[in-house]
Amino acid sequence: MLRVSAAVESAGFPTATLICEGFLGQAKATSSGLGVPTLGIAMVPGHPDVQSAVELERNIASVTLERVVACLTTTSNGARHLVEPAPRDVVFEGTFDEVQRFFYENLWSDGLPIVPPTRDRVDAFLSFVDRSPDEVLATVQLDNRAATIWNIAVNGVMAGCRPEYMPILVALVEAMADPAYGVEHSGNTPGAETQIVINGPLIKDLGFNYEQGALRDGFQANTSIGRFWRLYLRNVAGFLPHQNDKGTFGGTWRVVMAENEDTLAEIGWPTVCSGMGLPPGQNGVCIARYTGSHVIVSVYGTSAEECLPYLADAVVKYTGWELMFTVGMATGTYKPMLILSPIVAKTIAASGMTKADVQAYLFEHARIPARQFENYISGWTNLIPGKRSLYDLVMLRKAPQVFGASRDPERLVPLVLRPEDYMIAVSGDPMRTNCYFLAHNGMLGFPTMKPIVLPRDWSTRLRAAYAE
Amino acid sequence: MSAPHESRGTQWVHNPVGRQRGGGWVDDALGDRGRETDPVGMRFAGARVVPQRVEAVRSADVDAAVNECFYRRGWTDGLPIVPPTVGRVREMVRFSPESASTVIGELEPMHGEASVEKLAVNAVMAGCRPEYFPVVLAAVRGILDPRFNLRGVQTTDENVAPLLIVSGPLAEELGINAGIGALGPGWHANATIGRALRLIMNNVGGAWPGITSLAGIGQPARYTLCLAERTHANPWRSLHVEAGLPAESSAVTLMRAECSINVTGDLDDLASVMASAASAFSILHGGCVAVLIAPATAARLSGMGWSKLNVSRYLFERARLPVDEWRSLWVRTKIAPTYGLPPWVVAAEDGNGPIPIVEHAEDIVVFVAGADVPIPQHVYFPSWGFPPCRVVVPITLPSDWVRLRHAAAGSGD
Repeated sequence: MLRVSAAVESAGFPTATLICEGFLGQAKATSSGLGVPTLGIAMVPGHPDVQSAVELERNIASVTLERVVACLTTTSNGARHLVEPAPRDVVFEGTFDEVQRFFYENLWSDGLPIVPPTRDRVDAFLSFVDRSPDEVLATVQLDNRAATIWNIAVNGVMAGCRPEYMPILVALVEAMADPAYGVEHSGNTPGAETQIVINGPLIKDLGFNYEQGALRDGFQANTSIGRFWRLYLRNVAGFLPHQNDKGTFGGTWRVVMAENEDTLAEIGWPTVCSGMGLPPGQNGVCIARYTGSHVIVSVYGTSAEECLPYLADAVVKYTGWELMFTVGMATGTYKPMLILSPIVAKTIAASGMTKADVQAYLFEHARIPARQFENYISGWTNLIPGKRSLYDLVMLRKAPQVFGASRDPERLVPLVLRPEDYMIAVSGDPMRTNCYFLAHNGMLGFPTMKPIVLPRDWSTRLRAAYAE
Repeated sequence: MSAPHESRGTQWVHNPVGRQRGGGWVDDALGDRGRETDPVGMRFAGARVVPQRVEAVRSADVDAAVNECFYRRGWTDGLPIVPPTVGRVREMVRFSPESASTVIGELEPMHGEASVEKLAVNAVMAGCRPEYFPVVLAAVRGILDPRFNLRGVQTTDENVAPLLIVSGPLAEELGINAGIGALGPGWHANATIGRALRLIMNNVGGAWPGITSLAGIGQPARYTLCLAERTHANPWRSLHVEAGLPAESSAVTLMRAECSINVTGDLDDLASVMASAASAFSILHGGCVAVLIAPATAARLSGMGWSKLNVSRYLFERARLPVDEWRSLWVRTKIAPTYGLPPWVVAAEDGNGPIPIVEHAEDIVVFVAGADVPIPQHVYFPSWGFPPCRVVVPITLPSDWVRLRHAAAGSGD
């Protein structure tokens, strides 16, 4: 009976289940097990088996009927809170090794040792934000757990961050919880991994690496904040491999990439975050999920004209099924990133090209035959059902004109919807002519930027922290 | 395997309680209800802890501390358990053909996920040796079969228990007794495999006495009811062969048993007991009952040219309830008017004939077990509930079974 009610309730219709008095407790527990803990239950006094027809009628009329009406005319939230430790609960006491084991066995760590999140350490992190530890920033899917200042600090401690990174961690979680980013997709099978980009004076204040080895571990700020991201996805958002993180292969978290803002200033190009609305001179983070990456080695040439064909070719080579985010599944959400080393960026800029010019160049020149585009989205894959051609999609107004200029399968079409969909960053070894390309996961990890809000007396606090 | 710098007297133990798809623990709801009613005294005294996958229990006498703690949380069957330490659970999981996180189904009534790891935790607690684990996994698949009606078995106010019969060569390899005293006590595999299934039903499925499990009085078979079918001195086809599986494979057969009744005598004695102990519920619901035949009797019948089906038919014809007696039964007078009766019972009543105890002769499942003694000692297992249940599940072994067995036997690899 309860199962039928649960099914009907799940389909969106109110129900009332008649339950004899002696079975109310069982019904309550069972409806919870059925995933609808607030299933409408109308009590039948006593048990009908021992009641005459007259008694039964009286009982139903006086007690049960009213509950039936109530069940069918009121709504309730069916969600159930998980019983979890309260923020300040000490969940474990023991030696360093025992703490490692406890956190690992309870799936709270990534397999590397964590820094035990003691109250002292958490308090040190809290001293770098002017916000209440209990403040709820958002609820984060999949687990619908509250993202709080407190649990940001706890995961920051565990990841090996320094207390003064706290404002960055808060901005990252705000970005994670932004609906535009789509954190709920983080367990999808392509297993894309987030690349955090940081801009602003904090890069130098906190010692981020933005030169040689920009994407390599070995620098506390870049590395520990990258790890924080993954720990937060695990412990608060609730993505765990073998459970609801279904990435076929996945990948290790990426360290934070800091841009070379000296080079950008020199050539007059906007940073990644300022391209997304961050006022100049401010600090910000941009997050997006990338399905793969590739290094483009030895870009040879003395001008933009000589360098750009190779880069456009790389954009073509390393973009495949992701085109379903350009046209088809989530049209216009493919935003790949091209990272130029400073020396390449300067060479291109010296030819008089702005960042927008580079984007326009890639839009015009990184093109493939329409039949190949169709292979990726529906020929070799089943990502877009219906096997519609790009031409048909244009006719159906599901794609812009540029994809359906003719029916010729050999006609060349672009890889993104608009030139500005190419994101351009500058980082890495200033004196080496290599570049880097990140294919993107579309709406399932859409580029999202958040400013970093520093606490009052930031410089004083920072000086104090570094003086110790 | 404790790491350096760990305190002495610490045990790292897994939580045996089922988790639901949404992440909740079946104890969350049960504990709330338990505190309201506290039907069995101290049972819920410790249930307010925040559940964790693994916890560290510390004490000078840590085995006792784990036992006390688990008992107070309602996680045992009342007997001492083997603490499900991380190492023991890992070893148990090694003997599964599937990985620890594989979920083979959701167990009624609280929909706890039966992950391999969670099942292993309960198997350790029950005292299973790791090599028994493939049998436990097959048994869990059996209770997940819709024909088993797990929800009914878990929540009914009747006292039904799963009857687990292991067939095939693995039974002998694992020492699952099919011979003298097979229904116990005294046999490690019989005792612990059946017990593991019970702990899984209680802890993962969330069947707590008085809260979701309303069995009025219970019965000893709810601790364990597990035995093997005779391979040697069995003149007839094994249960798994009857189900279409190769003779060299092994399988578990699951049925629902209300109790086990010892019958010493011949088939007519059996029929008489079956008729009078008819478990009117198998008549009410239409059921499937089991009959264990002593090896000596099986040999004699087979020598006379009787097949198993002949035995079932013989019992089917003779194990009948006189219609007047049936009409006076509680089930007939108090329950049947509300629930109705199966057509075959109505037909028998209308004809004023004796009432069969099941619908078809094939609903009487015959198998051979017991001691190699001349005493004709049989067992009748009446059933409860619907639909007719005779679920046969092949036992799947891990791909490196032979190597694991050798390593376990100490011969190295």
